[in-house]
Amino acid sequence: MERRTFLKLTGATALASTLARPALAAQTTVRWWYHFDNPQNTPAELVAKFEAANPDIKIAAESIPWGGGNDYYTRLFAAIVAGQAPDCAQVKLSNQARLMEMQALEPLDQMVAAWEGRKDISDNIWTLNKAGDGHQYYLPLHYVVLYLYYRGDLFDAAGLKAPATFDEFLKAAKALTKDGVSGFGMRGGAGGYDNWGPFVLGGGANFQKGGMISEAALKANRFYVGLATEHKVVPPSAPTDGFKQITANFKAGRTAMLIHHVGSSNDLVTALGDKLQAAPVPRGPDGKGWTLYGDESNAIFASSKAKEAAFRWISFLSTAENNVALTKLSGQLPVTTAGAAQDTSHQARFVKASTDSLPIAGVMPDSPKTADFVATVWPTNMQQALLGQISPDDMMQAIEKHFNG
Amino acid sequence: MTDTMQSVTIPVRRHLLPFAFLAPALAIELGIIVYPVLQTFWMSLHDFVLFRPNNAPFIGLGNFTRAFTDPVFWTAAWNSVIWIVCVVGLQFALGLATALLLNQSFWWRGLARALVVIPWALPSVITALMWSWMYDYDLGVINDVLSRLGLIEAPIAWLARADTTLGAVILALVWQGFPFFAVMILAGLQTVPVELLEAAEIDGANAFQRLTKVTLPSIAEVIATALLLRTIWVANSLDVILVMTGGGPGYTTYTVPLYAFLKAYSGMEFGYAAALALIMTALLLLVIYAYVRRAAREL
Repeated sequence: MERRTFLKLTGATALASTLARPALAAQTTVRWWYHFDNPQNTPAELVAKFEAANPDIKIAAESIPWGGGNDYYTRLFAAIVAGQAPDCAQVKLSNQARLMEMQALEPLDQMVAAWEGRKDISDNIWTLNKAGDGHQYYLPLHYVVLYLYYRGDLFDAAGLKAPATFDEFLKAAKALTKDGVSGFGMRGGAGGYDNWGPFVLGGGANFQKGGMISEAALKANRFYVGLATEHKVVPPSAPTDGFKQITANFKAGRTAMLIHHVGSSNDLVTALGDKLQAAPVPRGPDGKGWTLYGDESNAIFASSKAKEAAFRWISFLSTAENNVALTKLSGQLPVTTAGAAQDTSHQARFVKASTDSLPIAGVMPDSPKTADFVATVWPTNMQQALLGQISPDDMMQAIEKHFNG
Repeated sequence: MTDTMQSVTIPVRRHLLPFAFLAPALAIELGIIVYPVLQTFWMSLHDFVLFRPNNAPFIGLGNFTRAFTDPVFWTAAWNSVIWIVCVVGLQFALGLATALLLNQSFWWRGLARALVVIPWALPSVITALMWSWMYDYDLGVINDVLSRLGLIEAPIAWLARADTTLGAVILALVWQGFPFFAVMILAGLQTVPVELLEAAEIDGANAFQRLTKVTLPSIAEVIATALLLRTIWVANSLDVILVMTGGGPGYTTYTVPLYAFLKAYSGMEFGYAAALALIMTALLLLVIYAYVRRAAREL
């Protein structure tokens, strides 16, 4: 190439790149907050890949301690109030209403409409992530759905099959509770609302006015609390057992069933191998059923001065192979259809149990009161009911009062 | 004229000089203590919820009256009383016994004095996690030892029962805090004149009488100061409870500071949490008043 041609080409390239992205002529920094269950995991490779493709954008990825959600959101809310919010951050639906009340979220409708990758995320997931006011503030990132893990070997030995209904579940739990084994590893401590939901919301309760104190709702809650107080098919430590305890008990063979999501499958397989089986959670008497859609999205904050650059970053993360790379860090499932086909980080039977559960998957109510329900109202009332300090019906009255006054 | 000005200026300078030296410390004090306290007062008078920062109406004493009609507050307050009395009382008793032992002559006394400080030196989170595992229903060493000794037939879920959880957490904090008393009292014991003890012995006082009539009165000042300081710290401490039980099961291990913390960082109700914190502060002011008076007397 002649020197003159080279100079012409260089000049033309520089001019073209300036014209192509007039709003991002100078390098823009995008601050992104994230959390992974394993804080050792770092998105550095994804950041490097993005920055190589987008030299005008620098990503400042900040790992924020999760602390059961409280630490993360307290920092996020405090940063927003102090005018120091990041440009974008990982967020969950349970806090969307609070963030909307703070007017902290940027609607993404137009940016999503213009984004080619939107078609690779299923309509179900878009619908679940839409806000109550009809806007799209969240760009889905990864997800999990809760399902039932069970010990296939113990079920086979007892001549049982995976329980599809509450009655079958109770029958199996009773049959397997013997010789130091409890049928079900109930989670009464932090985060246990996602074990309670399949039985109580799946049994007919809902968060609408009166929905927690209908006859079906009260009956469903009596059934769930009764697993501990009446049938005694759960470990005595259940009132305060959290994730670590229920998984430790299950891995050690002290429980035969457990409700959790695909994020724990690799760890459980390491301990139990092929004995570990999975199925959707059992359904209630009306056959409807419910399980928790555990979401994670990215949102852009209204205060951001780099919204376009932030959207380029978060949409990059929700695009096929990048989405797969991210889910390897988070241990969850890709939201993209193409990504799901490429995902090899989980064994097929657990991915199947997740996708089979999607038709009954739901989210917690889009209310500013949801986060406090999850963190304190549910555990304190559930634990009191398990200890017999209040009745299961009192527990439901307290939840009804929390949401509907 | 100049002489007159100088004669006025020098006393003024002398008068202001101490304040100039104090100014940096006072500025820091204002920034990190006075300002947050005033802000807490302001918050306590408003319905301040973190996710509604632009809608925090003034409600006067509404948060305080809410506390007094809130059954969880009264549960937490009662638990706080049990918590403070049991933790401080048991720490003192254990600390005194340890100090008396460590004041005796034995060949590995130096090592024993070093070892006894370990619980105090451990971070609270480590202490809490360690005791949580010791109390664990399936794997815990406490259940294991008790069942091997034949004292229990089946394991006990120590941290999941209403009748055992508060006591279990209290025991963990007693273990963590007794070295403070041991070290303080040991230091005090070494100031007790040997002549006094010898004179009492010659006069026919037995060991118990020498302890109650000579030793303890001689170190009463040290004990009083240690008790006051520890009461303030224990009353405010929530880290061990938070890690071990989070306040559960139910409200079994809720104390007032923990309730305020959860209201702020879970419910985001900073206004109500500020009121709870101020109520706790008002109760503690009585103890602080006693401490300050004692400290002033020693100056």
